[in-house]
Amino acid sequence: MSATRSRAGSAPAMKLPGGIRAWGRRHAFSLLSSLGTLMRQPIASAMTVMVLAVALCLPAGLWVTLDNAAHLGQDWERLDTLSVFLEGGIDDQQAMRLSSRLSAWEEITAVDPISPAEGLAELAGQMGLGEAATAIEDNPLPWVLEVTPNAADILPALAERLQREEGVESVIVDLQWLERLAAMIEVVRQLTMLLALLFAAAVAFVVGNTIRMDIHNRREEIEVMALVGATRGFIRRPFLYSGLWYGLAAGVLAWALVRLALLVLSGPVEALGGTYDATLGLRPLSVPLSLGLVLGSGALGVIGSWLAVNRHLRRIRL
Amino acid sequence: MVVFESVGKRYPGGIQALKDLSFRLERGELAFLTGHSGAGKSTLLRLIALLERPTRGQVVFDGRNVGKTARRQIPALRRRIGIIFQDYRLLSDRRVFDNVALPLVIAGAPYPEIRRRVRAVLDKVGLLDKERMYPPMLSGGEQQRVGIARAIIGKPPLILADEPTGNLDPELSADLMQFFLQLNELGTTVLIASHDLELIRRLRRRVLVLRDGQLVDDVPARVEVAG
Repeated sequence: MSATRSRAGSAPAMKLPGGIRAWGRRHAFSLLSSLGTLMRQPIASAMTVMVLAVALCLPAGLWVTLDNAAHLGQDWERLDTLSVFLEGGIDDQQAMRLSSRLSAWEEITAVDPISPAEGLAELAGQMGLGEAATAIEDNPLPWVLEVTPNAADILPALAERLQREEGVESVIVDLQWLERLAAMIEVVRQLTMLLALLFAAAVAFVVGNTIRMDIHNRREEIEVMALVGATRGFIRRPFLYSGLWYGLAAGVLAWALVRLALLVLSGPVEALGGTYDATLGLRPLSVPLSLGLVLGSGALGVIGSWLAVNRHLRRIRL
Repeated sequence: MVVFESVGKRYPGGIQALKDLSFRLERGELAFLTGHSGAGKSTLLRLIALLERPTRGQVVFDGRNVGKTARRQIPALRRRIGIIFQDYRLLSDRRVFDNVALPLVIAGAPYPEIRRRVRAVLDKVGLLDKERMYPPMLSGGEQQRVGIARAIIGKPPLILADEPTGNLDPELSADLMQFFLQLNELGTTVLIASHDLELIRRLRRRVLVLRDGQLVDDVPARVEVAG
């Protein structure tokens, strides 16, 4: 213990912190020390991240499902046609005349006339009646015109106009299931929003609680830091960074879990599409949604730890 | 450097720790603060470092009334005071190096400078070979020296030591006091709370004696008689 060459006292006192570089160095220290804290207890940190990721998976997964369902609706909307049933007394000639007249309407793309005989054959085929149908002597089916409109949103108006045509018995708009799908998607979308809000709050609170315990465990360290002149900001910063890491890690993990689920589901969904003669493919998370998930989760982590830090650091008299 | 003017400190619950206490500690002075336990030594030191605020009178450090210091200013004030605790107050999960580096890290010093200064100060307290160890692996005396290294690394103009020899054997205690005397010779103001009366008497420095929160004696430094 030789103090003969001591510089203490002879040199000017340490300058107060100032300048961007010192600020940057203090931030770098906070960042590294927060990472170090997480790494020193890898299992506890991993479990926290896992809980957060699972909480994020539910709204994210629902959102992806919705996205796919809405896309499905868009694809099928184009297939929509109107079935115009003509009156029973209409003969072949009248039916063909009406058909060609309708095809001249500008809101109609195509008219496909189906004769009673064709209709019966199709029906027999669909129901597996086979020869039984031919046994029906008097075909009860009317002429049907399958009308394809040039836009989906004019369907109701077009149906009304067709209904007023002479010789038209009824117009069947196969729109209802689409409307129901859209309505259901809307309900689930709102539900997803509510769930997303709830789970976002859950993420913030879980992070807040983790940070609260962290503050409690490191109380002594906090006191010592304050004793040697650390500012409140300096003491607070590692905890905020910890919150950020928890949030970001949970966001990335949640993204990976949703991606994995999509991969697992893609096979069965394709098989399901095959039975409908349709090519169904699952759309993955969009880039904005992925970014939103990860960054949003990070932001929630910071918010949660901010709340905890503000509440609990105040209790420790510094 | 430090001025107490009719300072009183009453803790919540009615315990009167200090009563109407006045003294001055000049820049570059070294003084001992003594008295039986509970006399208010620790409270006096805590008032200077703003770990407590006085309930009456004022405490002036470096020309500033610390009792009126805004919260935001406290960290800057503490960086100008090196505090040494009887129970060391080290971070047991950080290496000796990191413990000593803490004040510089807080100040945002660049890493090469931190390394250089930590090494220098550890060398000075004779712990350079222990820089990678954790405090619980060290003896009480060694931990105390880590605490001292941390207190002086920022080159504060004032050092406060609360019972620094409390856990040391007599030989180590004498060494430590010599260390403080050397620091003081280089211009640092030092205030040491201790009840090691024999050691204090031998050093012939100024002694402030507290009893029941009041200053009952202020023995000036005696000029050493040669031979």
